[in-house]
Amino acid sequence: MLKAIIFIISTVVLFLLFNQLHKKYPYPFLLPILTTTIVIIAALLLLNIPFSDYMEGGKYIQHLLGPAVVGLAYPLYNQKQLIMKFKYTILSGIFIAMFSGLISVYIILKLFKLDDSYILTALPKSLTTPIAMQVSETIGGIPPLTAVFVMIAGFTGALFGSVIYKVGKVHSPISRGISMGSASHGVGITKLKEYGEEDLSIGSLSMGLSAVIGAILCPIFVFIFF
Amino acid sequence: MRIIRIIAQIAILYIFYYLGVFFVEITKLPLPASIVGLILLAICLQMKWVKVEYIREGAGFLIAFMTLFFIPPIVGIIDYPELLSIEGIILMATIFISTVITILFTSKLSEKIEQKELKLKEKREGGNEVVKSNHLHH
Repeated sequence: MLKAIIFIISTVVLFLLFNQLHKKYPYPFLLPILTTTIVIIAALLLLNIPFSDYMEGGKYIQHLLGPAVVGLAYPLYNQKQLIMKFKYTILSGIFIAMFSGLISVYIILKLFKLDDSYILTALPKSLTTPIAMQVSETIGGIPPLTAVFVMIAGFTGALFGSVIYKVGKVHSPISRGISMGSASHGVGITKLKEYGEEDLSIGSLSMGLSAVIGAILCPIFVFIFF
Repeated sequence: MRIIRIIAQIAILYIFYYLGVFFVEITKLPLPASIVGLILLAICLQMKWVKVEYIREGAGFLIAFMTLFFIPPIVGIIDYPELLSIEGIILMATIFISTVITILFTSKLSEKIEQKELKLKEKREGGNEVVKSNHLHH
């Protein structure tokens, strides 16, 4: 019990510290999700603490993830005017993003003859981390590995997005927002700030909407192809 | 006072979460319970069955700390050293390629769709103006 309380407090304190650090220096590699996780992993390895011991405290923190994801209904509800304004473009864009993401992952990994459990782990990679991990669990993937892939998808968008838009000659803020929000979630859309407010707001609503749509499409895709 | 409100609102979000758990349990659909809860809440907000004020502060609080809640499960990669194998590298390269394809493909196609939607709107708004001006002439 004491151990659990120590794990809870140290995780919360580390997170709050790194959150402040990221607010002061908003670089993507200082995201609290990266810094906090790396420090905790390093500490567990150094002190020889097994993950199952850590989760005795960690499970209480994780428990709040359920209602937090439910709470995402609020920002989506708030953005409904903006969704209605460009409804055809946004909805079809999200479906295009979901299908091109799912199909490309499936084809490439099948070519390399990778194990099905790895393919299932990789499929939800474009969704925002909490939802991707839960989808990964329901379709039989490995949630913590999915979280790593989600981060890679995010960083791909954040670091290469502007090059892709330049090469593809994409000039529309709406298209940039939709593609980044539904392929590279929260990490990717931080880079949209450089383009402008419209990019960013379309990006964040596409992230939320694509997470909900993806959470339904992924299991259907798995049902058909596995 | 504010803290009590936030706790009460988190309790409401928990109710929706457990409605989602219950739904998944009886239907056996492969959906995350939290997503079902999210959709139920969105429907209730839209139908005005639940006032936005009942969940706004609780949702805002949980969303602000969302990252904290999924750090413990991510630490679980500690038990999956295969990330550093050949398969791990293939997987990571695939994620990179798939994301680039998705961004390029989606942005190009939605630009085309956007132009169509704008044209459609202009036509519609143009039509409305004609009706309005007719009205004025009468």
